[in-house]
Order: sequence, then structure tokens, then C-alpha cells
Amino acid sequence: MIRSEHLNKVYRMGKIEVPALRDVSLEIEEGKFLAIVGPSGSGKSTLLNMLGCLDKPTSGAVFIDGVNTASLSENELAEIRREKIGFIFQQFNLIHSLNALENVSLPMFFAGVGRDERMKRAEELLAKVGLRERMYHKPSELSGGQQQRVAIARALSNNPEIIIGDEPTGNVDSDAGEAIMGILEGLNRSEGRTVIVVTHDTEIAAHAPRVIRMKDGRLHEE
Amino acid sequence: MKDIFLLAYRDIKERKARTSLTLLGIAVGIAAVIALMSVGYGFEQSVTGELVEMADLIFVMPGKASLGGDYIELGSFNERDLNDVERIGDVKEAAAMTSGMEEVEYRGEKTVVDITGIDTRDIGAIFGDVVKTEEGRDLRDNDHKACLIGHSIANDYFDEEIEVNDRINIGGSKFRVVGVLEKQGGFRSGVDSAIYVTSRDAKGVLGNDDISQITVRVRNIEEAEGIAEEIEERLDENHKLDDFTTAMTMGSAIEQLKTIFTLLQAVLVAIASISLIVASIGIMNTMLMSVMERTHEVGIMKAIGAKNRNVLSLFLLESGMVSVVGGVCGCILGVLGANVISIGIGAAFGEGIPAIVRPEVLLGGVVVAVIVGVMSGIYPARKASKMSPVEAVRYE
Repeated sequence: MIRSEHLNKVYRMGKIEVPALRDVSLEIEEGKFLAIVGPSGSGKSTLLNMLGCLDKPTSGAVFIDGVNTASLSENELAEIRREKIGFIFQQFNLIHSLNALENVSLPMFFAGVGRDERMKRAEELLAKVGLRERMYHKPSELSGGQQQRVAIARALSNNPEIIIGDEPTGNVDSDAGEAIMGILEGLNRSEGRTVIVVTHDTEIAAHAPRVIRMKDGRLHEE
Repeated sequence: MKDIFLLAYRDIKERKARTSLTLLGIAVGIAAVIALMSVGYGFEQSVTGELVEMADLIFVMPGKASLGGDYIELGSFNERDLNDVERIGDVKEAAAMTSGMEEVEYRGEKTVVDITGIDTRDIGAIFGDVVKTEEGRDLRDNDHKACLIGHSIANDYFDEEIEVNDRINIGGSKFRVVGVLEKQGGFRSGVDSAIYVTSRDAKGVLGNDDISQITVRVRNIEEAEGIAEEIEERLDENHKLDDFTTAMTMGSAIEQLKTIFTLLQAVLVAIASISLIVASIGIMNTMLMSVMERTHEVGIMKAIGAKNRNVLSLFLLESGMVSVVGGVCGCILGVLGANVISIGIGAAFGEGIPAIVRPEVLLGGVVVAVIVGVMSGIYPARKASKMSPVEAVRYE
């Protein structure tokens, strides 16, 4: 379960303080599918970064499986990201010098999984997202939709409980977007993973049973 | 472990041109150090090697002398001194020499040359197995107005070459050349520019038979230092003067030379090290640029679970790999460079210096390259590892 309590995040731009999150309290139960929507600058990505342990709040707390991540060290946060969370980014964020198979196996490498096991699992995951034929291709040789599917396979490599997508369909055409949402829905429904997706697209948000709206750093449940 | 090497290798491969230039920087630095050290060792060996051949010799001179320093002549030795030296245990043989500068004329050309008078029975003691006649023969006891000339006297001192049986005029007397000595060079170059006559003739030409040098050969090289001290004590006592005698063993000369060479090596290496410092700045620059360019990539790696030390070791490994390859290339270049310098010196000065490449120097070269590479990589790697994942992943 993920829970945030009175979460505040303030960015300092020189002498000016810009509040990005204001007193956000939220609870996401295990195995749920949540969409966070809101206009650009509303704080939805900031919230996602806090929930995904990429960033620390200025005040408040984020609990993942009962552990307050706001008090953890950088390396402990890295461990949680590695073991419990899979990220999918709008820009895919694959490593260009590595092929699809190597990109998918990278989180397992950081987790200390042996090479053979890593490669076997990476291959399985790529097959699962329909890219077995493309596993030796580099990101530059893949379409946007294919790259995002590699990113999904990578997000799943350490078998995380939580999948976090920051505008996962933002850089692909609508067909590919639907396919990606289909995969995410499947991960939620058939595998019981918690999926949190940030989007500004209401159609994409419609895939999620629960939608919350962000505006000016505040939360509005729908 | 293999994987992180592969990952680092991929990253290096992505930046071929820049990596090659960085690598070249290290290679040149290491090559400069290795080449200079190898030529330095070669130079040292070619000089001290000659001396080792003469390790059983003690040169006894009436005066204070130091290698590379001044020589103050304080007088000359006499027969009693020679006899005293010969009586010292472990002295195999002792040869007295009389010498002085005298005008020599050959086919109308005149020049002043070192004339050395020797007892023909002492030729073995003085020349040993090293100095041999190239043409003609050695001096004999019954030779009268005959001389043995050094290689330079025969070939360089006069417009026309002097040959065996030619006649030269020494101090107003005609002498027949009975032999020409082989070229010596280096530490024995004095032999090349000397004319040897019998001690009887030397007395006639130089006007005295004062002993200006005693050459001693010892039975046991290890005893040479002790014998030299004893010679100094006895002869100082004979002449009632402290420091009247200098007895120089080749061992002490070798030690002194080695000290000089060590200093010389240190200076050369210090100069060559400048290029290593420049190379290390090059690596740091390359790695900093690489870290900056890959900020986004570092962000991704951290987002998917890389710890600070994963990122740190990846970047350190990259700079380490570049420097190992640079070091190995530097060793190869250094060996080639040392040989080129050696051949160049041979061609320019006629006397070659061997390039002596010691394995420990090569190993040291690679180790230094790795240390330089890793040290220069630490700052950029730390910078990369400390990046905030959320900021780095946003960086374009």
C-alpha cells in the first residue's frame, strides 16, 4: 500500500519559493489502478516523483508498505525503486547504447541478478510485450510505441508491485497509446500490480477505475 | 562484473574519437617516461659497463681528485712508492707511468700530445685484456725510439693518417710507430689520444722519470677498496703529507656515476611527468564532458534502481579502462621511442647507446597510467553518482 500524509513540496528558484504540492494526503491500496490528471504545472508529476521515491518531499511523509520513504537515504531509496517500483516515462528513457534486451536486463543487473537469468527473463518480458523479434534492436531502430513497450518490459524486470507511468502514452500515436494502456490494464487486472498513471488525456484516464485531479498542487478526488 | 565492463566498453565505444584522443594523451605521457628511462638505463650501462671491465684496477695519482671534479696535482711518486705498492698483499701487479705533454710533428704538422712512458713488462697491467693493438705490435723492452699510438693520434690528429712504420718527431727525436691501438672511446678515450713509449725513451723526451701514475691490478675485486685505502696511507706516509695520494677504484667511480645517473633519471622523469599531468587533465576533462552528456542516462539508471556506487564504479571503470589501454599503448610507443632515440644517438655521435627496457619500468608505466586514470576519474564519477535522479532524468 502507498500512503502520503500532508505532502508538501516547495521548489526554490533563487529567492522565490514555488509550492508544487500543497498538503497532499492520499492512499492507494495494493492492486489498484489510479490515474492522476491535471493541467501542466498542476503538480501531478511532482506527486508521482514523491510516490515513486525519485524525490523527497519538503514536508510530510510517503509510506510504501509501511516504510516512511521521506526518512530514507539515497541508496535506500534506490533499493526501493529497484525492488518495488517500475517506471515508465513519457520520453521512454531507454539507454541508447544498449539494445532492447540489454535495456530490459539493466535493472536486474543493478539488483545483482546473474547474467543468464537476467537475459532469460528479459527475453520473456520482451516476448510478453510482443517484441521478441526486436530484442537485439537499439532504441533508435524502434518506433515510439515499440520503445515504450521495451520501457514497460524494463519496468517489470525486477517484478515490482508498483508500476508508475508518467504520461506513458504522451509520445506515441493513439493506437500505440491504446496498446500500452491495454498492457498496463492487464498488469493490474491479471497480475494484481498497483498501477499509477499521470496523464492529461481524459481518454487515457478513463482506463483507470479511480481518477484523481490535481490543480495548483492540491488534490481533488473525482 | 563482466557486465559492468561491457557497459563501460559500450559507452567508451560510443565516443570513439574523443576516447582515442584521451588515450593518446596518456600514451604519449607514459611513452615519454618509458623512453627516457630506457635510454637513461642504456646510457648508464654503457658508461658503467666499461668501468666494470676495469673493476680490478686502482688508479693511484699524486694529488686530490674526484670524478667530475677538480684534480690538484701535488707532486709525483718515486721508485720507493712503487715498491711499497707492489708489496701490499692482494696486489697482483703495479705499473708505473711517466707522462707529460710534448710537441709531436708528423709530415710538417705539429701538435701537442700526451706522451706516456711505460715499462714494457707492465703492458699487461696497464692495458689488461681490453686495450689491444689494431695494427702492428706492442712495445718491447729492447725497443729504442719506438712508439705505440692511440687510435685518434693515428687517424684524427694529423691531416694524413699515421701508419705502422711511419716516423714521427717527438720532442725533437725521431720515433718509429710500431703499433696502433684499437679505438677505445668512452672512459678510455684518453688511450686514443696518447702516445706510449718505453720509460727509458720517456725520460729522454720528457726530461724526467717521475712517476705520474701507478696503475694497480688487484687479485680480488672485493678487496679493491681496502687496498686503495692502504695504498693511500702508505704513500701519504712516504711523502709525509695528508691527502697526497688519491687511489681511485673503479667500484667507487661506478658508485659515484650511479648517483649521478639516478639524479639524471629523476630529472628526466620529472620532465616527462609533465606530459602525464597534462594527460590526466585530459582524462578529467573527457570524463567531465562524458558525465555532463550522460546526465540523462545517469538519471535513468538511478530511476531504475542504480545505487550511487553503481554509477561511481561505472564511470571509474571507464576512465580506468581508457588509462589501461593508454598505458599499454604508451609502453609500446615508449619502447619504440627508446629505440629510435638510441639509433638516432648512434647515427649522430657515432657511439650508440643501447635502449634498456626494464620489465619493471613497463609494469610501472601501466600502473602509473591506471593511477592517473582512476584519480582523474574520481571527481567526474563522484559528480555523476551524486546526481539527483529526478533532476538528471529531466535533463536533456
